[in-house]
Amino acid sequence: MSMMHAPQLGKAPSTAHVMRWVIAATLPGLAVMTLYFGLGILSNVLIAALWAVAAEALVLRLRHRPIWPTLNDSSALLTGVLLGASLPPASPWWLIGVGVIAAVVVAKQLYGGLGHNPFNPAMVGYALLLVSFPTHMTLWAPPQSLWPDSLWPQIMGTLTTSALDGLSGATPLDAFKHKGDAVLASEFWASSPLPDGTLNAWRNIALAWLAGGVVLIAKRLISWHIPVAMLGSMMLLSALFYANDTSHFGSPLFHLVTGATLFGAFFIATDPVSAATSRQGKLLYGAGIGVLVILIRNLGGYPDAVAFAVLLMNLCVPLLDIVSVPRPVGQATARPDERKSAP
Amino acid sequence: MSAYEFPGGIYPPERKERSNQAPLRTAPLPKVVMLPLSQHTGKAALPCVNVGDAVKTGTLVARRDGMVSANVHASISGTVIEITDSVIIIQGDGEDRWATLPPLDWRTAERDTLLQRLDDSGLIGLGGAGFPTYIKAQVNEHHAIDTLVVNAAECEPYITADDLTLRHYAADVLEGAQLLARLCGATHIIVGVEDNKPEAIQALQALLTVIADSEPLASVTLKIIETRYPSGGERQLIKKLLNREVPSGGLPADIGVLCHNPGTLLAALQAVRDGLPLVARVVTLTGDAITQPGNYWVRVGTSVDALLAQVGVDDEQLHQVVVGGPMMGTPLTSLEAPVTKTTNCLIAATKEELPPAPAEAPCIRCGACESVCPAQLLPQQLHWYARAENDAALEAHHLFDCIECGACSYVCPSAIPLVQDYRSSKQRIRHKRIETAKAEHAKHRFEFRQARLVREEAEKKARRQARLAQQQSASSDATGTQTAPVADLRSLRIAQTAAKAAVRKAEKVLARAAAQDPQQRHDDLETQLATAQENLKAAEARLADARAASEQKEAP
Repeated sequence: MSMMHAPQLGKAPSTAHVMRWVIAATLPGLAVMTLYFGLGILSNVLIAALWAVAAEALVLRLRHRPIWPTLNDSSALLTGVLLGASLPPASPWWLIGVGVIAAVVVAKQLYGGLGHNPFNPAMVGYALLLVSFPTHMTLWAPPQSLWPDSLWPQIMGTLTTSALDGLSGATPLDAFKHKGDAVLASEFWASSPLPDGTLNAWRNIALAWLAGGVVLIAKRLISWHIPVAMLGSMMLLSALFYANDTSHFGSPLFHLVTGATLFGAFFIATDPVSAATSRQGKLLYGAGIGVLVILIRNLGGYPDAVAFAVLLMNLCVPLLDIVSVPRPVGQATARPDERKSAP
Repeated sequence: MSAYEFPGGIYPPERKERSNQAPLRTAPLPKVVMLPLSQHTGKAALPCVNVGDAVKTGTLVARRDGMVSANVHASISGTVIEITDSVIIIQGDGEDRWATLPPLDWRTAERDTLLQRLDDSGLIGLGGAGFPTYIKAQVNEHHAIDTLVVNAAECEPYITADDLTLRHYAADVLEGAQLLARLCGATHIIVGVEDNKPEAIQALQALLTVIADSEPLASVTLKIIETRYPSGGERQLIKKLLNREVPSGGLPADIGVLCHNPGTLLAALQAVRDGLPLVARVVTLTGDAITQPGNYWVRVGTSVDALLAQVGVDDEQLHQVVVGGPMMGTPLTSLEAPVTKTTNCLIAATKEELPPAPAEAPCIRCGACESVCPAQLLPQQLHWYARAENDAALEAHHLFDCIECGACSYVCPSAIPLVQDYRSSKQRIRHKRIETAKAEHAKHRFEFRQARLVREEAEKKARRQARLAQQQSASSDATGTQTAPVADLRSLRIAQTAAKAAVRKAEKVLARAAAQDPQQRHDDLETQLATAQENLKAAEARLADARAASEQKEAP
């Protein structure tokens, strides 16, 4: 019998469509980053995207799965773009390759491919690189010209260590983290610890990510629950810290516009596969990420913490999915009926 | 008008303008009709005519079998040419001579007479489930009903049958609602209409001002609600109009509400006031392949093929015909299928209009399905359990609360046929339940047989007693020879009352089960009801027997 499945009317945007729109929505953020950090940002994204597609195709071949239909869903491409966007400008090709393979092959395909990965692939790759290659991962050269002199040797990984050291520059979060307990915030900022325009650059980048995120929400491609919950809990908790001690903790605004806060809220935490599924679960998930980000930034050893916070909350998703079951209409409680699960 | 909210819901393209522009028309009389014996929830009707019999329009051709079942009437006049296990085919004579029942006044007629009329007319719910109306009208024997909801939301895209029915017969629909409100004891009538039917709303509003002056039996309120699928789902509409929640596994009657479709109410009034059995209904004929889309009065049993040919269809463009709406309807596999009492819409669609679904992709856990689910279930969770055939988990996650509206499938970016999975899972679980119920069934069959034997014995005895009594009164000398022990009349009366109560209880259980699960057969419950009826007959026979014996004793 030729049963078509109901409903037969129109169609929601497909998964590939959603993925491509998310990629498109990274463009404002990438453009503004390139403006401040040079073409090293675009080279990151391009190299990561190539690695991602190649790695995905290779694994699909080894798994005897159709290659083209799966590549066509653009999920590997998106993972590559997101990981590339998180790396310091002009990262070497091999570093990007290691990160992408960890993301696409280990974190995604080895778990069964799209839809089955418990962890956010891009953040697995990022976290691996951060703990394995800390020097490379903190090379946020200060905002400079569009075409840095050392771009090519940097990408090829042929730059000497001493030359690398010369490039290093701290992000605002880095600098603030390492100012030392004896230095008060007012003294720290008065000493102009960062090159001119650094804070402005990071703020504008954050606003560009926000713009892309708002487009995604407006087009209903992501739901508002995770970003709003994450940013809300970050603001609330950082305000509590700040109110308690203004000289050693950053203000809520500082936390909002520096680091990967807005990029993470709209593009990383919203990965549906590794997030909680119900609306209530998404709120808890987002709020949990926000709390962890602030705790790690304020009390932990890392200046930024979006990747770790997201991965830790990925771990909690099975639990969140259980506790956030909505109450079905007509049922007395939200709990699944255990009596019925007895055989 | 204020309204409450039900969770979830979607806004699919409505496409109602294709069929709601033309006025209601009457489709040409079919030359042949094919009347299915099972157009309703419950057991199929039993044919009560023979091949070769001449019938008029409205002649009873199949009688309801068991409690949950419905009569079937000839929908054209002519000759019965074929009777199979599932259909009766009538060749028309083109004259359309009618056999109607005597008209009744619903305000003055006895309640039982009205119920009998609904039963005789083969009336069932025309909205889709096809539940026998006479049973629904009696629900207040077990539940207090305060509100009758006229479900005119018609939330499915394409369908405009209720819209056009209301535009043309608003007064009759409201009178039908008063009739059913009287039968079920409701004091309020609420008409729920989506705001995309301005003409129907206007017709109703005009009437309401008139009705308010005439002091109707039940007060009537019109509530205009936002157009959002599936607001016409019974549970969703009740939530929206009354802010009451039908309990899981329960019925609207449990919270004092009955829902009726406008078409059913019109048919009920016509059955009572005009004595017309249910032989025709309003059907929306729409879709891009139809040249004259619109709503038509169509005789039940008309073949889809003939109907489409009569209103004009572009065969080259025709890709598929869907019965019902595009959300919950099913594609026809054969165009020879007849229009039945529950066919509210036929969509003759082109390929561009209702394209085949794209290939399924893996679930990305996006949760879009969960946010549109009007039952607040977790469709993606159910999807995984359904694929794993984990029936225990499916039931624990309330699969049977799913109303199969299709909102989840509609929004799924991975094009997963979620509703189809749920339907087949439900089917599988039902099948399992039936398997386990088989032993139970055998027991009930045995009990029925025992009851029948006892009843026959008791009746035989009663007859013998009656004969004996006659003989004795004829030959008046015989006294004292009465050897049969005269049973205690009082205990027999108690037994008879208990048997009556058991019959009522069995009826209630069956009516409830059938209403809750219209797709399932309830043979077992029908058997139990038959057993209870046998027991009652036996008790009555015994009582009659004992009465006769005692009279006989006193007589001399």
